[in-house]
Parts: sequence; structure tokens; C-alpha cells
Amino acid sequence: MKGNDLKYSGSLIQIKGLYKNFGKLQVLKGVSTEIKKGEKVVIIGPSGSGKSTILRCMNLLEVPTYGEIWFEGKLLTPIDPYLHPEIIRLSKTYQKMLVDAESTGDKKPREQVDAEIIAEIKQKDLLKKHEGGEYKSAIKTLYKSNFSDINITRQKIGMVFQHFNLFNNLTVMQNLTLAPVHLKLKSKAQAEEKGMELLKRIGLEDKANVYPSTLSGGQKQRIAIIRALAMEPDVMLFDEPTSALDPEMVGEVLELMKELAAEGMTMVVVTHEMGFAREVASRILFMDDGVIKEENPPKEFFANPKDDRLKEFLSKVL
Amino acid sequence: MSAFFENLWRDFDDCFLSYDYYMLYLKGLRNTMIIAVLASLIGLLIGIITTGIRIAPKNNKIMKVLDGIARLYVTIIRGTPVVLQLFIGYFVIFATMKSFTFFEVKETAGIWVAALVFGINSGAYMSEVLRGGINAVDKGQMEAGRSLGLSWTATFFRIVLPQALKSAIPTMFNEFITLVKETSVAGYVGIIDLMKIQKYITTQNAKLYVPLFIIAIIYLVIVLILQRIQKILERRFARSER
Ligand SMILES: Nc1ncnc2c1ncn2[C@@H]1O[C@H](COP(=O)(O)OP(=O)(O)O)[C@@H](O)[C@H]1O
Ligand SMILES: [Mg+2]
Repeated sequence: MKGNDLKYSGSLIQIKGLYKNFGKLQVLKGVSTEIKKGEKVVIIGPSGSGKSTILRCMNLLEVPTYGEIWFEGKLLTPIDPYLHPEIIRLSKTYQKMLVDAESTGDKKPREQVDAEIIAEIKQKDLLKKHEGGEYKSAIKTLYKSNFSDINITRQKIGMVFQHFNLFNNLTVMQNLTLAPVHLKLKSKAQAEEKGMELLKRIGLEDKANVYPSTLSGGQKQRIAIIRALAMEPDVMLFDEPTSALDPEMVGEVLELMKELAAEGMTMVVVTHEMGFAREVASRILFMDDGVIKEENPPKEFFANPKDDRLKEFLSKVL
Repeated sequence: MSAFFENLWRDFDDCFLSYDYYMLYLKGLRNTMIIAVLASLIGLLIGIITTGIRIAPKNNKIMKVLDGIARLYVTIIRGTPVVLQLFIGYFVIFATMKSFTFFEVKETAGIWVAALVFGINSGAYMSEVLRGGINAVDKGQMEAGRSLGLSWTATFFRIVLPQALKSAIPTMFNEFITLVKETSVAGYVGIIDLMKIQKYITTQNAKLYVPLFIIAIIYLVIVLILQRIQKILERRFARSER
């Protein structure tokens, strides 16, 4: 069977119609956005609105319930047939409905019949009810050139967590070199050289051989950032990187992030630091109740908020 | 007062020194330790396998079925008395083995059966300790590893397991200490462990309390020594990472 290809928009990360349920709780309710190379996207919004979830979907730490995530033209998630009419048309459900529609005899144009069937399938979620794993594996085979290996892709997506998550059983240097060496991207010597260079950059070269438990929060977070950088990623995701820090340490972490931004790193940052958003963001997303309510460059975003919830939110945080 | 000590000495002489009785205690102790050591090794092996099955991602049917079996095993073992397990193990396994006439089963094989039964028993507890240690490791450690592109397996063995063992190894050693004491029921199925020696001595000289106290002291000494080793282990593991 000849492999097919789906359209690639050219964005670094593309999120299409994303839904995420945790059991009965619907956390993401249809999120779509794109992140272009070099962009610095800041996500703000009230607690529990799904900011972490959307970020964690971008490297598949959370698996979306519906929708697609694309990274550099490859799919991280399975294909969501509802996003592709041409794939819906491959299903038995569609073909059966088409035959039924044509046999009724009324002379609607073919395009209209097609659109109506596709709308009905989407609306009633019929693919899930009537199509088995056979259909899924068929489209998987047909579009296999679109899929990426998640472990390879994650090498290109750095992530920084609120609680640092340095490896407690490894020294700082081992934290920096484990992944590049284990994944055979660098030799041990190369990785250590790179590690030392990164440590010097943040002025912590004397901490190379200590364990994380001896470091301050600000030091841990800066090391977590360079641990991600050691993989030479194409994009960095930050999930409230300064929220767990004592106030006097917030500055040093934000400073490092601003440096990265200035160097042209593509960044997606969930944060409550409005000053950072204003200064660094090329675009700010306001998430509320599982959807993106507003999306604008910082000037427009702060000067001219349109959504009522955003106005309310800004009045509280500014 | 001195009469009391004289009596005590005579009793001790009758029950420990004369007729080389102390050799009997030593033999009993040896069997007790063989059962305990073998059982904890078997238990460790079963515990590791069971834990592996229970925590591995359940992404196919086989893993789900294995997980069900592992759960059932832990539930049954932890939900029934070890003496009962010993009886079933001994009479079912041993009797079946004996009924195969073509290979001769010696009476001493009882020790191996007991080691196996106690090992199967201990495996359930070891797996709970190990799983507890693994679950106690912050979820963020696995997520950090995965976010760097490391596989689940690589992150598990390089990051999660070493941290889990730090807390689990001292507790698993504790399981061994428990085992040393628990095997004292082996005498019920005719195995000559330390506890069983009391019966021998009592049938010989009709003394009951003295051999019981001697045995108590031997158990106590062994357990105290093992507890010291455990303290050292605990300190060792706490120190790495400082
Ligand atoms: N693993 C999970 N299991 C169940 N519920 C979750 C899980 N992760 C997040 N949630 C819930 O999803 C909602 C959104 O969470 P999150 O994305 O962390 O919000 P935010 O980062 O904006 O504060 C919250 O109500 C949270 O309790
Ligand atoms: Mg969050």
C-alpha cells in the first residue's frame, strides 16, 4: 500500500482540536494553536484551567483524549479521523451511510450529501461506535510516514518543571550528562565538556560534583534548565518554573530564561510572572476552563483585553 | 540464693552441656538459618519479579493477565497464615514428590520444602516493600527522565529503582529478620529447626522451661546481631546522596 501524507503547516508545534479527559473530568475542551520557530508563547490563566495539561500534552507526558499534536511535521498522537474528512471517507460507517443516502433517491448534490454525512459522523461520534481497531490500524499503516517516535521527538523538546525534578540519586554533572550519553548523542567526555560549559554559564561550575539536595531552589531550577539545554532542544517548555521558589530566587531563573529568549530559543512558558510575559512574549494565550479564551501579542493583550474572564483575571494579577 | 543459682546451673548443664546437647541446638540453629537465608533469597527473586509485573506499563493482554496473577498471589499469601501455607506446601508438595517412586526423597528434603514455602510467602511481602519504595519515589523523577527522551526502562533502572532501593533494602532486611523468627513453626511439619530442639530435650530429661529459655536467648542474640547489621545498612544508604 502506498503511504499517504497529511498536510504540514510548517509550524514547530501544531495543536489541533485537543481534548483531554481525566476520567469524567474534562480538562481541555478543544484547544487549537500553533507555535512557530523562534516564538515565545506565554500561557496564563487561573489555576486548574488546564495550562499544565496543555503543556504536558506537547511532549505527550499526558496523552490527549481527542485531537492531534504535531511536532516538526510529524504526528505525536494517533491520527484523529474527525479532523480529516478524507480519512472519515475511508471508514465503513461513511461508505454505508453514503450508500443509504444514495438509495433514498432524492437528488441532492454529491458534495452536500458528503458534507452532511461527515457532519453527522462527527457529531454523533460514530467512528468510535461502529469502527473497530481494524480501521485504526488501516489508517495507521496508510499514514505511517506521518508518525514520529516519541522518545526521539522528546529529545528535541526540553521541559522544565515547577518542582525542578533533578535526579536525586545523581550528581549535578551526572544529571547533565545522563541523557546525552545514554542516548548516544555524545561521548561521556563530550557531554561533560558541554555540561561544564553550561555550568560555567550559570556560574555553578563548583557544584558539578554535589547532589541536588545540597542546592538552593534557584540553583536547582537553573540546573534543570541547563539539563534540558544539554540535549540541544528545538523548543523549551516551562511549567511555572518560578512558582516553587523563594521570592529572592525568582530573579535569577527569569534572567536565565530571558537570555535564552534573546538567543532565539523557541519557548512555551506557563507562568504568573506578568512582567516576564510583557517583556519576553511574542504572544500570550489566556486559558480558562479548558479553552484558549484570548490570544494576542503582549501590548494588545494587556491594553485591550476583550474577554470578560480575562479582564477579571488581569484586574487580580496586575 | 546460692541454692537457686546452683539449681540453675544444674538445669543448664542437664539441658545444654551434658550429652553434647549444645550440638543439637547448633544443628537446629543451622537448619533455621538455612531455611531463613534460602527463603529470603527465593523471596527476593519472587518479590522482584512480582514487583516488575505490577509496575510495568500494562499495554497488552499478557501484561494484564500477569498483573492479575501477581495481585492474586500477593492477596492469597498475605491473607492466610504462614503455618497453613507450610502445611499445604509440605503435605501437598512433599507427599507428591514422595509418591514418585523412581526418585528417592530423603527426610531432610523437608528443609528445602520449608525454604521454598517460606520463600513463596516472603516474596509477597518483599514485593509489597519494593513496590512501596518505588511508589514513594516522586513521579516527577520518571517524568523528567521521559521528557529528556529516555525510555521508561532506562529511567526506571537509572533513576527510580536506585532511589527506591535506598528505602526498600533496610526494610527488606527486616523481612529477613522476621523470617528467622517465623520459621520457628517449621517443627510442626517435622523439620528439626532450633525451636524443635526443645521437644527432643524435654523427652530426654523431662525439663520444659530451661530449654525454652535457652532457645529464647539464642533467637534473641541472633536477632539483635541482625538488627545491628540492619542499622549499619540503613546508615549506609542514608549517607549516599549527602
Ligand atoms: N493526572 C490527573 N488526574 C486527574 N485530574 C487531573 C490530573 N492532572 C490534572 N488534573 C485536573 O485537571 C485540571 C487542570 O489541571 P492543570 O492542567 O494542572 O491546571 P493548571 O496548570 O492550569 O493549574 C485540574 O482540575 C486538575 O485537578
Ligand atoms: Mg499547573
